[in-house]
Amino acid sequence: MRKQTRGLDGRDGQDGQDTNRIVPAVLVILACALSWTLVSAQQPTASVTSQDLREGLKNPTRWLTYGGDYGNLRHSPLTQITPANVNRLVPQWQFQTDTLGKFEAAPLVFDGVVYVTGPLDTGWALDARTGRQIWRYRRELPSGLIACCGLVNRGFGVLGDLLFKTTLDAHIVAISRKTGAIEWDTAMEDFRRGYSGTTAPLVVKDKVIVGIAGAEYGIRGFIDAYDAQTGKQVWRFYTTAGPQDPGHGTWRGTDAKAWEHGGGSIWVPGAYDPELNLTYWGTGNAGPDYNGLEREGDNLYTASVVALDADTGKLRWHYQFTPHDIWDYDSTQMPVLADVTLGGELRKVVLFANRNGFFYVLDRATGNLIRGKPFIQTTWAKEIRADGRPMLLPNSVPSEQGTRVCPDQSGGTNWMPPSFDPSLGLFFVTARESCGIFFTWKDDYTPGEAFRGGAVQRLGDTQSSMLRAIDVTTGERRWEFPYTTQSWAGVLSTASGLVFAGGSGNVMAFDAKSGKNLWHFQTGSSLYAGAMTYMVDGRQYVLLPAGTTLTAFALAEF
Amino acid sequence: MSRTGQRLAVFLAFALGCVCAHAAAAQDRSAPRPEPRAATNPLEGNALAISNGAAMFRNRCAGCHGPDAHGYLGPDLTSYWSAGGTDARMFDIVRKGVPGTEMIGADPLRVLDKDIWQTLAYIRTLSAVPAAAPTGDAVSGERVFRTNCASCHRVNGRGGQLGPDLSRIGSARPRAGLASKIRGSSDVIRPGYEPVTLVTRDGERIRGVRKNEDEFSIQIMDARERLQGYVKANLTAITFDKQSLMPVYGPDRLNDRDFDDLLRYLTSLRGATETAR
Repeated sequence: MRKQTRGLDGRDGQDGQDTNRIVPAVLVILACALSWTLVSAQQPTASVTSQDLREGLKNPTRWLTYGGDYGNLRHSPLTQITPANVNRLVPQWQFQTDTLGKFEAAPLVFDGVVYVTGPLDTGWALDARTGRQIWRYRRELPSGLIACCGLVNRGFGVLGDLLFKTTLDAHIVAISRKTGAIEWDTAMEDFRRGYSGTTAPLVVKDKVIVGIAGAEYGIRGFIDAYDAQTGKQVWRFYTTAGPQDPGHGTWRGTDAKAWEHGGGSIWVPGAYDPELNLTYWGTGNAGPDYNGLEREGDNLYTASVVALDADTGKLRWHYQFTPHDIWDYDSTQMPVLADVTLGGELRKVVLFANRNGFFYVLDRATGNLIRGKPFIQTTWAKEIRADGRPMLLPNSVPSEQGTRVCPDQSGGTNWMPPSFDPSLGLFFVTARESCGIFFTWKDDYTPGEAFRGGAVQRLGDTQSSMLRAIDVTTGERRWEFPYTTQSWAGVLSTASGLVFAGGSGNVMAFDAKSGKNLWHFQTGSSLYAGAMTYMVDGRQYVLLPAGTTLTAFALAEF
Repeated sequence: MSRTGQRLAVFLAFALGCVCAHAAAAQDRSAPRPEPRAATNPLEGNALAISNGAAMFRNRCAGCHGPDAHGYLGPDLTSYWSAGGTDARMFDIVRKGVPGTEMIGADPLRVLDKDIWQTLAYIRTLSAVPAAAPTGDAVSGERVFRTNCASCHRVNGRGGQLGPDLSRIGSARPRAGLASKIRGSSDVIRPGYEPVTLVTRDGERIRGVRKNEDEFSIQIMDARERLQGYVKANLTAITFDKQSLMPVYGPDRLNDRDFDDLLRYLTSLRGATETAR
């Protein structure tokens, strides 16, 4: 027996006492190791807290919301990639969705994993180092889906171990961040009546805030908050003012029920100011898009930005960019919250480059207009008056014969997110110059059917697009880079003085101060989303969705 | 199940899932309409429909068919009914488009059946002039085509490829539009055939038509039908010419009779099957 017993040093035990000492020691060590293993398995792994969301890009290795932070600056503090070395940026990995359609999403990155949604209600968790798939989510969509403008999605929201996502059949779902399995699923509205979900959610404290799309089908738009844990609706704010709401008198005209199918879609996420506890959302066009006869008046709260109490959904203030919109000028661009010095005074503002062609600076607490200035050629309005209303120009109402108006219905910019570099005070936006012939006719509202009241003929020879840098202190253009074809690319900037944007399938890097093009890479598809950036293992990546492919770039390592 | 079998099962399940996903997507985009379209226009003569249809026509159709529907880039529509055309066939053309031409089908999610009927109700009100009797000799016209045009244009698989394929040009263009193009008009140049001249760093001038372009490169077919891309940084000039690469065939190069015969031939081109008949 003694000879069969071996100590840890491999020597035969000399006597029973030694053996007796060694065995308990081994057992203790084994027990410790086992309990350590069990404990570490039971210890929660890193999880996203509401404080993490509030801190945004303070930890710049991550990207936790559509706009990078609650202010939607899309401006990363990462500095490994600089104007001096960006020409060494090379692809590290690619991920292809194997679906039809296109990416319009902002990928999220947390703890070395990319979470991204794709077209046709799909989503993935990917290894941020290699692009290898960890799990895949795909929703079984019903037939007869109604979505005017592409079966797209703009990304996940995240809190704890849950991801949140709107669906094309007008639901909101929570998905396990670990497995991709559905945790809860709540219907927001009936998709057969033209409602659909494409916006990325905005997660605030314990709530998931989203909105609904479908203004081309006579929906009544809304912004909803859901309990993140249960999926239960907490509040709803309608974007068309009903009989009990202030502003209802702005719906006049021949159709007394115009507000019930008056549009006001939400399809790009909003912003959040934790200090004011206000959430800011841009609202879509009034419906029918091009015929205002049935809905005379301003048609609140369409084509506006609304500031809502994040706990209750109560309206604190609104600013309407395009009163009585008859040009399909959705204001569903991403609101950007910034603190800027204007006239020697530090102001908390909302920056908003609008589809109607004006760049607005609003007071974030009151909604008062500080400045509104065109950033492209506009012929529907000349300027924004001191009282905040646009000074309309004659001959700009859509007609049966056709009326030429600039910009066309796709606008001076659109869903593609801009970025803001606070150190330079520069706002970078993909701008579009264009004009169209606006026609109108009478459409009758039928649930689930197109309800536009007209259409627009684009004038090809008026169209061009470019990346523009706007100085927010003056509203003047600092520089621009023209693209060869119309661009739908979002923008990212970094603290090292770089701007990432692109056109014609090229993702490009620019010097933020001068606009000089420093690098480009042809992705092989038009860009319909913006790049984001993250860091893992000490290496900075720039991740770009283009077509149905994600490409991660980093500096070449020789 | 063996490991290979398991893998196969997983693969098949995945592949089936993919196929189903694509099928579902295709189904979603073209959700079946509950009712088939009517055989005759239910809105013919309806005043509101005609007024709405006028705006829809100007918006969606006039760019190619002309503001009076007498044809511009696309065919004359005013003589369609007097030549025996039916509402049902016209509806289907609008909904499905005409393959091989610029006439695309109307997306059911954007253009309702009702909108098509309203548009047709309007077109029907336009002066129904009987189509002029065709003149010229198509057989002679084909000879003219082979001599003057075929080095750059292809018909039913024969001819050059610097210019557009004309196998279906009779469905796509009215006679007047073809006549003006042959006599030298460059009002309309089809995308992919824009004339361009490149100058390389060593001074070589390359004339061709633009196939594609981005901020950093341009792709062309040169006059010898060579497809080639050029990096803009290696070029000293890129000039887009106003005049099409197609020579002007004035009366000095093409007399009125040959011109008439050529037009008869071109307007008879409706695609390989129909021409062969």
